[in-house]
Amino acid sequence: MAISVFRFAPKTWGAADDLEAVAPIPLPSMANPTVILSGLMVIFLLLFVTVGPSLWRQSPSQQWLSQISEGASRARSVRIVSDNGAWRPSKKADAPSGLKVHAANTEYVRLQWPKLAGIERYRVYRGDADKPGLGLAITETADSYYQDRLQLSSEVYRYTIADADTGLLLLSREVRPEAAMSVFEAQLQGLIPVTNNKTQWVEIPGHPLGTDALGRDILARLMAGGRTSLFVGVVAPLLFITFGCIFGAIAGLMGGWVDQLAMRFVDFVVALPFLLFMILFRVAFGIGPGENGIMPLIVAMLVLSWPGSARLIRGQVLALRSQPFVEASRIAGVSTSRIILRHMLPNVLPMILVAFSFAIPQAIFTEAFLSFIGMGVSPPTTSWGALCNEGIKTLLSHPRQLILPAIFISLSVLAFNILGDALRDATDRRSGVVRA
Amino acid sequence: MSLLKLRSLQVSIGPVKAVRDVSLSLEAGECRALVGESGCGKSVTAMTLLGLMPNAAKISAEEWWFAGRDMTQIKEREWRQLQGNQIAMIFQNPMTALDPTQTIGAQIAEPLRIHKGLSRREAKMRAIALLERLAIANPAQRAEQYPFEFSGGMLQRAMIAMAVVCEPELLIADEPTTALDVTVQAEVLSLLQEMRESSGTAMLFITHDLGVVAEIADSVSVMYAGQTVESGSLHDVFSREAHPYTQALKRAVPSLENPKPLEAIAGTPPDLRQPPSGCGFAARCSKRMAICEESPPLMSCGEDHLARCWLWHKDHPERWREAEAVSLLGGKL
Amino acid sequence: MLSFIARRLLSGVITIWFIATATFFAMHAVPGDPLTQEKAMSPAVRAQLEARYGLDKPLFEQYRLFMSNMLHGDFGISFTQENRRVNDIISKHFPISATLGIAAVLIALVGGVAAGSVAAYCRNRWPDRLVMVAVIAAISVPGFVIAGLAQLVIVAMNNAAGKTLLPVAGWGSVSQIWVPALVLGLGTMAYLSRIMRASMLEVLSADYNIAAKAKGVHGWRLFWHHQLRNAVLPVVTELGPTIAAITTGGFVVELIFAIPGLGRYFVQAVQQLDYTVIMGTTVFYGAFLVLVVVLVDISYGLIDPRIRLHRGRA
Repeated sequence: MAISVFRFAPKTWGAADDLEAVAPIPLPSMANPTVILSGLMVIFLLLFVTVGPSLWRQSPSQQWLSQISEGASRARSVRIVSDNGAWRPSKKADAPSGLKVHAANTEYVRLQWPKLAGIERYRVYRGDADKPGLGLAITETADSYYQDRLQLSSEVYRYTIADADTGLLLLSREVRPEAAMSVFEAQLQGLIPVTNNKTQWVEIPGHPLGTDALGRDILARLMAGGRTSLFVGVVAPLLFITFGCIFGAIAGLMGGWVDQLAMRFVDFVVALPFLLFMILFRVAFGIGPGENGIMPLIVAMLVLSWPGSARLIRGQVLALRSQPFVEASRIAGVSTSRIILRHMLPNVLPMILVAFSFAIPQAIFTEAFLSFIGMGVSPPTTSWGALCNEGIKTLLSHPRQLILPAIFISLSVLAFNILGDALRDATDRRSGVVRA
Repeated sequence: MSLLKLRSLQVSIGPVKAVRDVSLSLEAGECRALVGESGCGKSVTAMTLLGLMPNAAKISAEEWWFAGRDMTQIKEREWRQLQGNQIAMIFQNPMTALDPTQTIGAQIAEPLRIHKGLSRREAKMRAIALLERLAIANPAQRAEQYPFEFSGGMLQRAMIAMAVVCEPELLIADEPTTALDVTVQAEVLSLLQEMRESSGTAMLFITHDLGVVAEIADSVSVMYAGQTVESGSLHDVFSREAHPYTQALKRAVPSLENPKPLEAIAGTPPDLRQPPSGCGFAARCSKRMAICEESPPLMSCGEDHLARCWLWHKDHPERWREAEAVSLLGGKL
Repeated sequence: MLSFIARRLLSGVITIWFIATATFFAMHAVPGDPLTQEKAMSPAVRAQLEARYGLDKPLFEQYRLFMSNMLHGDFGISFTQENRRVNDIISKHFPISATLGIAAVLIALVGGVAAGSVAAYCRNRWPDRLVMVAVIAAISVPGFVIAGLAQLVIVAMNNAAGKTLLPVAGWGSVSQIWVPALVLGLGTMAYLSRIMRASMLEVLSADYNIAAKAKGVHGWRLFWHHQLRNAVLPVVTELGPTIAAITTGGFVVELIFAIPGLGRYFVQAVQQLDYTVIMGTTVFYGAFLVLVVVLVDISYGLIDPRIRLHRGRA
């Protein structure tokens, strides 16, 4: 502390020109590998959401009906199959001797089996070939054929036919459906012209991280969502810290009853239950058609989050006002604006930077929380929190859809927190700014 | 047999050899001052004597006896029975050495509860009685108060009470008056002296204040750079100082009777991470000799008066001349 | 001490008034009103409903009415759940949220203090490293993700065991409390253990700690009487904000674990613009938090004599 008292003193007593010199803003120490790693992480995340979409050109809102909740896949060609609705084997074909597969693709699997004497109803089971047990009973029918169209993917299934009355197992066969897409969807996606239903094969892009419950590419959605999350995470703190600093600086510089009144007001705002009011303000500031919800979120955060930095800056300004080097400048006839610019600003700037770097992960968290409970951004705009919201619905069957956006939230929060820590340590070492 | 006998204690904490060679002995009831500038290893010596050094510290001694026990063989559990019971300590800063969340009375009574197995009530009664003996008004009421409600001088009295409550055989006082106002220093010192004399406790009084030493001590050990460089009776060390460091120290203290310009000791103490192989003081010594490149042992320079300096070696020319003079005078010196 | 409590309570009342007013106007700033969300209705029915809920009066008159009703402890009738009084909704569902919250605070407090102490005692050794890594993980992963993962783990455990070891969701039995409570308290526990570690490190190197050892105080007695009481003070200061964070953070846990707490009702009410329920829950929560902060202040005084006595004299 003793050092900070006299840090500016010699300049104060020197020639007027010396006053122009200001203390440099401390930079975080870059010696720590953790800090370097988190810095790289932040750069990666920023590139991911900005440059990413131009490298990975899939649309985040394009739905692949044939690829609901799929795992990672490469670009591949799929067969186009016509979608005829109901199916029955042609009369001409003989009754098969065993379980016959007429067609097997991801749009439909067509099965036929011989009519067996004495059995009135058949039950059809479908299970994973690599798991024991019969799997799911998908239908009961009196016919000796069946078309399965229930969420098929390109894995090996085992179909089993059983007597519905006695449960006696009759026939069984393993089937691997071929990747396919209906004409209707191919036309919808613009892969083939609407007039054309002759094409047999079509190329479709892969999904390195799979697709979500609506068949949308998760990688593309992570990029789009990250853009929202990081935008809110950086812009909201920028705004509320700026506002808080101005408010706190005015209170601290004016002093007296203005200060008292201002700080009382701050006390009240602090007492508002944060998340409740975030939700309330988020709704109050933006319900309406075409709202993506980002602006209301930022405004709500601005309204509720500024008091922290206001208190911080006010305390600093009050402490600095009574510092010998400031008083000395005042006696020496330095103008108020010059004192603020030359003496106070360099001293509080590092603290503002630290507060800012800690506010970013906080804002990312808040946005994620609100979007998660459906009070954040509105569809079709998405964010990492909104992706988690979608992901938790399919948690038990496809945990990837929750875990992937969660990893991005956690990584960005972690990286910004470590950077904030490093920045604070560097600031603490370099400047002995008075602790309020 | 002495109460405490310590020969060639060495303590290193990580790379720092804080104590390199300390020898001390205390008789029962004796008050020995341990004098030296800050960083010379006084406090580490005190902490070691109390068994309070962290496990990471490396401690070794050629000989270490306390109250008839061989302390080099002692176990952790035995240490706990000694601490606060047979050896107690008064800390430098009473403002920080008392637990802010406990009442003064409870803190004074605590050693009685642990070591003497007294009940809460009984222990508190004794604590109150002790506070009264230490001239604290309203002791019963004061015992219920917390450290922040006491002044510095009062706190140090509470600290003394805490240390002497089990009537230890050895009391270590680590600069007990440094943190106090000058006005209460004398008061606390005389109380300390009184408590000590009435209970016959031996005391190791650590200080850098030579004035206090003259007032309270029977004998003095001088430390420099982790070594005891001189020890002897108060009179020996103060008026027949043998080691050049002690001599320099005395010239650096103002005196009313004999006003002379003060002399600072030139140079700085050696870095204890890489202590010199020879005499630690040689670099700052005005009487440096060639032999000072070698580390001097403690040498006798009078009855019960030792100095770690080659000047007092029997082969030193001056010692020859002295011996000659003694023989010429027929041993009448 | 009494005057201190009185002053705190007074400022608490003003704070609650501020919260109520802010809620009222924020809510009325929302475009539309609860009735427009219903199906199309005839103007006559609409007028009748407006009159029933007092929506036909000028805004300030509505505000005055609301305030006077609130002073009598009446938050009115829900718009969407007809004939259900807001007071009933709160008294039925808040105890559930409170139980969950108290369990979470206890878990966070005990776990945080224990983990922080262990870390400080084993500074820079593996238990310390382990605690610190766990802390960083718990701080960086959002609560709803932890909740989801906890459910995944429970399901996997139940599947592996072939029977229901732990229920995945729901409310009513003791085994349904502690998983959501742990999930809810985890972030706070991490935060508290970080504070506890720092303050315990400070205590371990404090003079009074060494002085106590010099008196022969060791082991548990040293920990309980001297170290814990001093080290826990910064943790207690954090308790107020902590409880606030946990009660509101409970929303998500209630949603995911299907717990019929008040948080779920609030989210629902905001979506449906149920004025009275929003007002009621917000003011109630606000009052609850203000009360908690006052209580925490008082309990802080009980632990730290310096504050207790100074404020008592003031």
